[in-house]
This record gives sequence, structure tokens and C-alpha cells, in this order.
Amino acid sequence: MPFTPKPHAALLIVGHGSTENPDSSTPYFEHADELRKRGLFAEVHCCFWKEEPSMREAAYMIEAEEVYVVPDFISEGYFTQEVIPRELELNGPSTERGGKLWHYTLPVGVHPSMTGLLLQRAQEVAPGVDPAATTLIVVGHGTGLNQNSTKAIKDQVELIKQSGAGYAAVLDCYMEEQPFLAGWDQMAPTPNVVVVPFFIADGLHSYQDIPVLLGIESEVGEAASQREIFRHNPHHLRGKTLYYSSAIGTGRNIADVILDQVADFDSSRS
Amino acid sequence: MSIATRLSTAADAGITRIGQIAFLPAAGEWRHRLCHVEDAADAENTGSLECHDGPAAARDLSTWAEDGHYRFTKGELSLKRGWLMRLRSPEELLNALDGFYPAAVSLWLAEKEGRLEIQHLRAKLNRQTGMYRFARDLSDAGAQKLVREVCGPGNCCVKKILWQLDESTPLEDSPATRYDGVVGDDVPRSTAIPLLCREACNHFVAEARKAAKEEKRATA
Repeated sequence: MPFTPKPHAALLIVGHGSTENPDSSTPYFEHADELRKRGLFAEVHCCFWKEEPSMREAAYMIEAEEVYVVPDFISEGYFTQEVIPRELELNGPSTERGGKLWHYTLPVGVHPSMTGLLLQRAQEVAPGVDPAATTLIVVGHGTGLNQNSTKAIKDQVELIKQSGAGYAAVLDCYMEEQPFLAGWDQMAPTPNVVVVPFFIADGLHSYQDIPVLLGIESEVGEAASQREIFRHNPHHLRGKTLYYSSAIGTGRNIADVILDQVADFDSSRS
Repeated sequence: MSIATRLSTAADAGITRIGQIAFLPAAGEWRHRLCHVEDAADAENTGSLECHDGPAAARDLSTWAEDGHYRFTKGELSLKRGWLMRLRSPEELLNALDGFYPAAVSLWLAEKEGRLEIQHLRAKLNRQTGMYRFARDLSDAGAQKLVREVCGPGNCCVKKILWQLDESTPLEDSPATRYDGVVGDDVPRSTAIPLLCREACNHFVAEARKAAKEEKRATA
């Protein structure tokens, strides 16, 4: 459904950012650029936990009296439920503060439209590869500290299974909790394996840590933007043909998911 | 009046500096032009600087220092030289400066208008959770020391610190706390937009966490 423009409202995209890797914040700026070009909001801004502008600084950049805050995060958890509301002083779905009305949407990663993006990415990374002979692995960080962090991925795996895309197997794997990604070749029953990192950015995890866990590289490499030679698919490893994608959030089509979250927020209020 | 219009009006009225960026005179359709302060004298020599039309390159130009390190705090005194940015409108000027110095113009205007809320260090540390909650334990002496070691031009940050330890405890006098957020002693202060630090940054909080843990280890 086409998005109804909000010429009097601001959009504030909240990202994590990094003090070590500038690639971490690139997708957020690209999502903001994409939405700015579409002219659907009076203003579009980004803010970060680890970079500038901070969430509290960004509040001074906003001139509109109505603000949609969209966490450009992959799952609900510590950041979306604790850090962002605290830093932006939000006390519920809508908060009146400082002469503005702040709306707080769900994070992009939990929206059902992510399923389409995952399938699109899997097809792009392994063009012409028969899904019936392929295992699709959606990989996340995982942490024993918060069950919510894996829920978004488990939900997506179920949605992909039900989508009729025809993959022989669809699995969720994690860097730091079971099932561990390091055993991908044992878990995948097919000769072909497609791995899509369920992260927003190509940061330390998707370009440095995961390639080591997969066995593509033997040690952690440089940040993505500093690499001279990009990875080339497919990789023939451990008796399988492996196709490794960049992080799902690096696509400009995440801008559509941001709009979906804003539209869903409005629908839930009406 | 919008932030962009207020900025543009200030530029027309004589603002010539922000951080390590110089505002150059308008030239034809280019209402605003920016370059590194150390390139300003050569900026009119055609071809001596890499020209960028529009604000899009601001983020890339401000991401890496000359020696290749990542400038994760944009107040760092390490902005790359060799570029000229030409801008057509107040909105493009604001977008460019928000790329180089995120939120700096908005914070400056808020301060001028008495709207800027300062968050003192204790309040900032006390609201930390997760792995950063240990930062709360940092002693006052440790915090004062950390300001000297992390902030100010001696440590490469050229923002003016507005916060105190708490409501009644100012930061101890040091080059870091004396710094006024304007790069260059020769610049008339009325012609510069100072870079303002309204609360300790997350880099400082991360360092506070480390220092607090070190204090605990030392007394154990």
C-alpha cells in the first residue's frame, strides 16, 4: 500500500553505530538519504548510540512538532526497550515532550515485510541455484542474556518456510548461542548453502567474525570498506557450495520497511 | 525561522568558522562555500582543491583522518584537507555542516536562544545500564582526571565542555575545561560557531567504565 506522506512530521532513524568501524553506520545514512529523496517527511535525521549525533543531540536538530522514531535495529531487546526510550525520554508508544509529540515504532527487523527482503537477498546472492537443493541459513548474533534477540530471526525462519519459496531447509544460527553457526556444514542437509546475516550493517560481525566462523577466512580481516579484494561467491568449503551475503540491512529497500513500521504504528492507533 | 535559514543568515552576517572549516565568500550560484581552514588561503586557485558540489560528500570527508584512522568523534582535531564544497542553499549548508559536525549548528542556536539543556556528568553516568553501569562507580577524582586525559585539544577534541561533575561541582581548571570550542587563537570569537559538548560523549563513558574498573582493582 502506498505510504501517505507526512509533510509536517520528522523521521528519526536510530542506529547503533561504532567507535571502531565506520561501515556500521553507513546503512542508516543510506536509509535516511533514500527516504529524504522520496520527500515523504518534512525532515529525516539519523542518530546513534555510539556515534554522533547522539539521541539527545538529535532532538535539537528536529524542527517538526511530530516525530516518528524508528529503531533501525534487527530485533527487540536491550536497545529498543531500554536504551532508546531512556535516551529520548520516551514513556510509551507516544510521548509529549519539549513541545513535540514523539511516536516510537517497533524496530525494522521485526516487521513481516523483512521476509520478502530475505528471500530477495538469498536469490540475488545465489542466482540460478535451485532452492530444492539449497539450505538457507539466517544468522544472528544471539546472546544468552536476552531471548528477544533471537525471536525476530526464528519468526523469519518460520515465515520463509511457510512462504513456498521451496528451500530444502531454512535454519536459524547464531554467533554466540546455539545452534552455533560454526557447525553450519553439519546442519545443512543440502549441497548448496546460502547464509544471510540478519544484521543492519556490514560491521565487525558480518565482514570479520562470521567469515571466520564459516571458514571462509582463517583470521579476522580488516573492516569492509578497507578491503581491496571483496569476497566472491561461491565458496567451496567443507564439501558444500556456500553463498555468503552482505548484511540484510545494507539494502536501500530497508527504507520501505521503515515506512511500513511508521504506517503500522499509525494503523495501530486508529 | 528554520535552523537552515538562521544558519545562512548568520553566515551572511559574518560567521567564517566552525571547527576546522572555513566559510568562503559566495561565488555566483554557490551561495555558500566551505573548505578546511588551512586551505582557505589557496581556495580560489582553481584546481588546487578537490571540488564537491552539494553536501553529500561531507560524511565521507569527515570519516577518515589524513593518516587513515576512523574519526568516530567528529570534534576530533583531524579533519582532512584538500577539498572545497560548493553549496546552493541554506538547506545544503546545514546538511553539509551536519555531516562534518553532527548537530553542532542546532546546539549552537539552542544555546544562543537559552534552550540548551546541559547534562552533568554524574547524571549521565548514573543513567547508564548494561555493561556501562560500572561507569557510575567512578570517583570524583577519577572523573576529573579523565576529563584532563580524554577531553580538550590536547587530546584532539575541540568541543567546549558545558557540563560539570554535578550541579554544584565544577570541573577542575585545565586546558580541556578552558577550551572555548573555536579552533585558532587568531579567530574573532564573534565570527565562529563554537563546537559545544552538552553532555559527556559515549567515548568518555566507555573510558569512565574502564577507569572505574581500574579504581576497583586498585583498591581490592
